[in-house]
Amino acid sequence: MAEVEGAQRIVRAGSGEAAVEVEGLVKTYRSRAGTVEAVCGVDLRVEAGEIFGFLGPNGAGKSTMVRMLTTLLSITAGFARVAGLDVAREPDAVRQRIGVALQEAGLDARQTGRELLVLQGRLFDLSPRDAAARADELLELVELSDAADRRIKSYSGGMKRRLDLASALVHRPEVLFLDEPTTGLDPASRVTVWDEVRRINERGTTVFLTTQYLEEADQLCDRLAIIDAGLIVREGTPARLKNDLSERLGREVTLDDVFLDATGRTRTHVAGEVQEVSAHD
Amino acid sequence: MTDALVLARRALREGIRTPEAIIPTLFIPLFFLVVNVGQAARIFPGSTTAFLHGQGYGAFQLPSSMLLAASFGSAALFLIEDIVGGYFDKLRATPVHRSALVLGRLLAEGLKTLLIASVIVALGLAFGISIASGLVGFFLLIGLTAGWAIVYAGFMQIIALKTRSAAATNSAGLVFFPLLFLTPNFVPRNLLTHPMEVAATINPVTYVMEALRSLILQHLRWQTIGLGYLVVAVAAAIMLALSVRVIRNYD
Repeated sequence: MAEVEGAQRIVRAGSGEAAVEVEGLVKTYRSRAGTVEAVCGVDLRVEAGEIFGFLGPNGAGKSTMVRMLTTLLSITAGFARVAGLDVAREPDAVRQRIGVALQEAGLDARQTGRELLVLQGRLFDLSPRDAAARADELLELVELSDAADRRIKSYSGGMKRRLDLASALVHRPEVLFLDEPTTGLDPASRVTVWDEVRRINERGTTVFLTTQYLEEADQLCDRLAIIDAGLIVREGTPARLKNDLSERLGREVTLDDVFLDATGRTRTHVAGEVQEVSAHD
Repeated sequence: MTDALVLARRALREGIRTPEAIIPTLFIPLFFLVVNVGQAARIFPGSTTAFLHGQGYGAFQLPSSMLLAASFGSAALFLIEDIVGGYFDKLRATPVHRSALVLGRLLAEGLKTLLIASVIVALGLAFGISIASGLVGFFLLIGLTAGWAIVYAGFMQIIALKTRSAAATNSAGLVFFPLLFLTPNFVPRNLLTHPMEVAATINPVTYVMEALRSLILQHLRWQTIGLGYLVVAVAAAIMLALSVRVIRNYD
């Protein structure tokens, strides 16, 4: 069933339909210190079927963008459409069609992995039997079948992250939002998550991924955007962004160089904000 | 409603797996019951005190302990854990009705209180207290206590959603003590001093306590019982409306 649905989505991916469409998106917060503009008028388009990377230093507005697009945060101004639906006007319909795994793996440590997935399925209107079957399927997909009946509090960081990913897939979403899905993971766990993301995408799900790891973006993403201080400062395929800078500088460059050039940071300045981790297959 | 039931089941599971959160809910009210009865039972002997209707002072004090137990629910603190740990966002990202996110825990809190109130009454029976209104009265007694637990847990959940702080939510829980002590807690309302009587009359908890007390001490007095249930119903409706509003505006 998942394969058939996935295939249908791949067809739609080829139709040029946008999975995410954003125009002039703004988010401001009021604090005691005054008004903070976290996102300052972002325009963005993610095609159906893509793995889209959203990069930026800490505090650049990545998570704020994801939270707005996933209905978790109100939009101050501008327009956002996800899976063809207006995020502000049709939040429930949007929630039916997206999957979300946020920066901190948001799990209930007192439940078992299986209980968590069954509950998630029930909240997406699956019958008890279908929810149980889907939980089994996903536990196998993320290789957690052996730990399915253990409480989540005994899981390692990597296992929690994979379970979080599985819980975002319970209802076979059209668009999957992953907010820094590999932060804090060891290289082996990171590679496992990358493999899952590729597999999910091959089944037709559009993936919107924020990351601080430039190699991750380079390995996984079809296209990416770099956000800094709430504004998009670069957008394109990793290869094109590197080529453009390489031509400008007259030397070979990496995605690190693109990031540093786009955000106006130096390697010293950026230390601790963006890390590069090698984790080859 | 199905979503609320699914979430209630999860909240019950959470409660069962955290027994250390339930034990004080039972122990503290029983402690107050023993202390209050120990201090005042000789002043109000059952044989000569009309408002005790032939029972001991423990029967008069039992409703205070039941209300205290109903106000010690841990729903709001579990909610704070969900908020801080990110699981609440996971639930908010599902297409369930916003009211279900609030109602699930409240239903579980009501069910837990049914059990805790039954245990308190059973212990009371073991120490010679009787339920004058019979079996129907017993069910009305624990039902009203559970209703109050839902109201109070709802109030605490609103504080939790607004502050997202365990410390602030815990402190807000102390609001119950003035509400409990501005009632005819130790003697009936007509024996209170005038200022206390006025305070007790405008305190809605008074009517819940009087309904509980009438069920223990007297035959079914529908007007008193009805007033107690009305207070709980109105408070629950207000609390639920406020909760849904808070959760809709939650950023």
